[in-house]
Amino acid sequence: MTRLLASRLAWGVFTLVLVAVIVFLATQALPGDAASAILGSSATPQRLAALRAQLHLDEPVLGQFWHWFSGLVQGHFGTSLAARRPVSDVLGTRMLNTLTLVVVSAVVGLPLALWLGVRSAVKRDRVFDHVVSVGTLTLAALPEFVVGIALILLLATQVLHLLPAVSLLQPGVPAWEQPKALVLPAATLVLAVVPYVARIVRGSMIDVLEEEYVQMARLKGLSERVVVLRYALPNAIAPAIQACALSLAYMTGGVVVVEYVFQYNGIGAALVEAVDNRDVPVVQAIVLLIGAVYVLLNILADVATVLVTPKLRTQLRRARRPAVEPSLATELPR
Amino acid sequence: MDSRKAGTDDRGLTRRDMLQRAIAGGVALSGAGGLIAACGGSGSGTSPNPGGSAATIKRGGTLRVGLGGGSTADTLDPHNPLTDPDISRTFQLYDTLAINNTNDQLEMGLAQSIEPAGSAKEWVVKLRSGLTFHNGAPVNADAVIASVRRILNPKSPGRGSAALASVGSNGMKKVDDLTVRFSLSEANSEFPRVLAEYYNGIVPPDFDLAHPIGSGPFKFKNFTAGEQSEFVAFSDYYRGAPKLDAVVIIDLTEDSARVNALQGGQVDAINDLPFSQIPAVKSSGTGAVLQADTGNWVPFTMRCDVPPFNDPDVRMAMRLIVDRPQVVGQAFGGQAQVANDLFGRYDPGYNSELPQRTQDIDQAKSLLAKAGKSDLTVQLTTSNATIGMVEEAQVLAQQAKAAGVTINLRQVTSNVLYGSGYLKWPFAQNYWYTRYYLGQVVESTLPTSGNNEAHFDDKRYVSLYQQALAELDEGRRNDLIHEMQKIEWNTGGYIIASFNNQVDAYSTKVAGFVPAKTGVPLGNYGFHLVGFTA
Repeated sequence: MTRLLASRLAWGVFTLVLVAVIVFLATQALPGDAASAILGSSATPQRLAALRAQLHLDEPVLGQFWHWFSGLVQGHFGTSLAARRPVSDVLGTRMLNTLTLVVVSAVVGLPLALWLGVRSAVKRDRVFDHVVSVGTLTLAALPEFVVGIALILLLATQVLHLLPAVSLLQPGVPAWEQPKALVLPAATLVLAVVPYVARIVRGSMIDVLEEEYVQMARLKGLSERVVVLRYALPNAIAPAIQACALSLAYMTGGVVVVEYVFQYNGIGAALVEAVDNRDVPVVQAIVLLIGAVYVLLNILADVATVLVTPKLRTQLRRARRPAVEPSLATELPR
Repeated sequence: MDSRKAGTDDRGLTRRDMLQRAIAGGVALSGAGGLIAACGGSGSGTSPNPGGSAATIKRGGTLRVGLGGGSTADTLDPHNPLTDPDISRTFQLYDTLAINNTNDQLEMGLAQSIEPAGSAKEWVVKLRSGLTFHNGAPVNADAVIASVRRILNPKSPGRGSAALASVGSNGMKKVDDLTVRFSLSEANSEFPRVLAEYYNGIVPPDFDLAHPIGSGPFKFKNFTAGEQSEFVAFSDYYRGAPKLDAVVIIDLTEDSARVNALQGGQVDAINDLPFSQIPAVKSSGTGAVLQADTGNWVPFTMRCDVPPFNDPDVRMAMRLIVDRPQVVGQAFGGQAQVANDLFGRYDPGYNSELPQRTQDIDQAKSLLAKAGKSDLTVQLTTSNATIGMVEEAQVLAQQAKAAGVTINLRQVTSNVLYGSGYLKWPFAQNYWYTRYYLGQVVESTLPTSGNNEAHFDDKRYVSLYQQALAELDEGRRNDLIHEMQKIEWNTGGYIIASFNNQVDAYSTKVAGFVPAKTGVPLGNYGFHLVGFTA
């Protein structure tokens, strides 16, 4: 297990380094630099030169990259070119805001998806299943911004006036203390991921429900509830874990669009703006963060899959020397 | 250059927006007259304390304003405003010696008078007496000198540094506590106009950006770049205490988010209402549209120094190809007025005697034949840098076919348009805000101008310009400007098809917004005149 984790982590770090290099090259390929982006057409050669000197944009590209990279290794994300403050300073609250949004969406969305998927599988080809199928397929076909705009029209501006159309967060106040601003963006994210996870769960549940041991359990006279929750679900959970992890990772990226639609002040909105301003250190930091979340979630999902799949567990165990055995027992709760 | 920032503000339109706008155009135009009449009662802005509808305004309340164009680059620097919200903040916090009022006419500000002393090289600025900054410190000659020095600081030159360069650090002398004498290295008969730019505000000598002090209608309370800023009323404001208690300026970059926030009651006013949303706001019953005729222009720029446009006949043919009313209707949704290939519409020297140029395909064809360019093919570089820019290019390309001219559109992002290719495109577009004539000339039509996209270089024009700058008599100066405009009208490198409206919106719960011809949104951001009616 430890070896699996270590190798996964090593690959993860390697992936992130690659991401850093590619993003740096991509930002260099964009036309214009931060100074011309910030000054826009009000730029004069004198003002551009002064700003470039202030932002150290006149240094060679390789030097800039090395300066940034060596800082990163020591835990510094550099200084934002647009805000002229440390990147960690600029992104601190915004990261918390995004995290709040993703966690709230996950806490609401994933159990909902699980429930919908399991129930659809159990009620296969009945009305509930058909309704959920049509609903999830429709939602899955719609991009988030369409869902977001529809929610705004429905709940904020045209039909009902229940919720704020734009998520204006009070600066300096944590997002979770401003729940009204969270509802619509979180609902949009929930509607974006629920269909995907629900359909995966339904599919894998249907496979499992057709297995012989489920038939056996039913023949033994166990209640349907016990059959579904104790016999079928644990065996159907592995694909669901993968789907949940992918969804969470997707949310972290998809949050860019949702935050833009609602002007929710998180890292997604910050990314759009940083690209506009050619604020390379901020772009780098955000892309690396999103990349790190992807990598971590994938590792966690792999580990969790191993944990809930006895076959994979024993394979790992067999590959190990007996001396490691005791510690493994403590690693694996059951 | 322009009175606001360009380049990073991508306000692109989709084809659907275009269609909606074309439909909305007629409706919007027919409603415009009534609307302007309805909100025109609150004064023209020429007197320091306009009355009018102010009677119905109650005291107190906090105005929440949603503005596009902001980012984490936002700053409170009085002399380096970068984004639209920054510009709106300079109007709240700081004051200038003179003012471009909502009619785009010059008016005295902190200065009681700005008078030439003998020639256009010597200027005496007399301050109004008894003025104070937010912290109680006096607005005096020392503050004026310190502010101009701050703008000219070579390490961080302000927006106004180029126009004030002729002052130099030794060009100012304190005559008495309220009087400063400026000695310019070059004549400038429009020096008061330079001092009236909103980015040349007067701040105390010990100005500290962390605790910004000015003499404007609102005092600083807090500021988070890219998010929002708050200001509270300055009761000693010399043009009359604001009716509001406070103003909150909120960054709302996305167009539809701004409209949604207004319709959902989260903000009381927004800038840059998309044309397609005008009917929706008007019919909502909770919102009003602030439509202002301005001198803003979106020119086509033809390089006069390279083929095919180095031939004046070809340039004239291109200008004759344009069906201007069609540009107004299709590219700008009716939110514009026909222009005559000239800028500086509200300048007292604007030459309105020149006949309005209209489409003349036959004449265009014969000019092209004379130039040997009957089957002319050109590439036009366009961008969605401002509303209607790409659409204007598409309309022109369509119209040019009638004269046998093929215009191939090359659409780029605004970063490319203003990137390393800027000033090199043979045929492109740009956008400019409202300015007085000579101030625009120095920016864009002299061989020495930093933004001479058309590479226009006419010796007589330059000599007329220098005479005008030295001419203190307004009548004679206007005659010189007339001559300059005649040259531009005949051989210039710009096609200026229209002057475009500034369209903003506000909640019906507030009143006091005045349309501003300057093109600065929300009536020169004149929030001190605004208040709640209910």
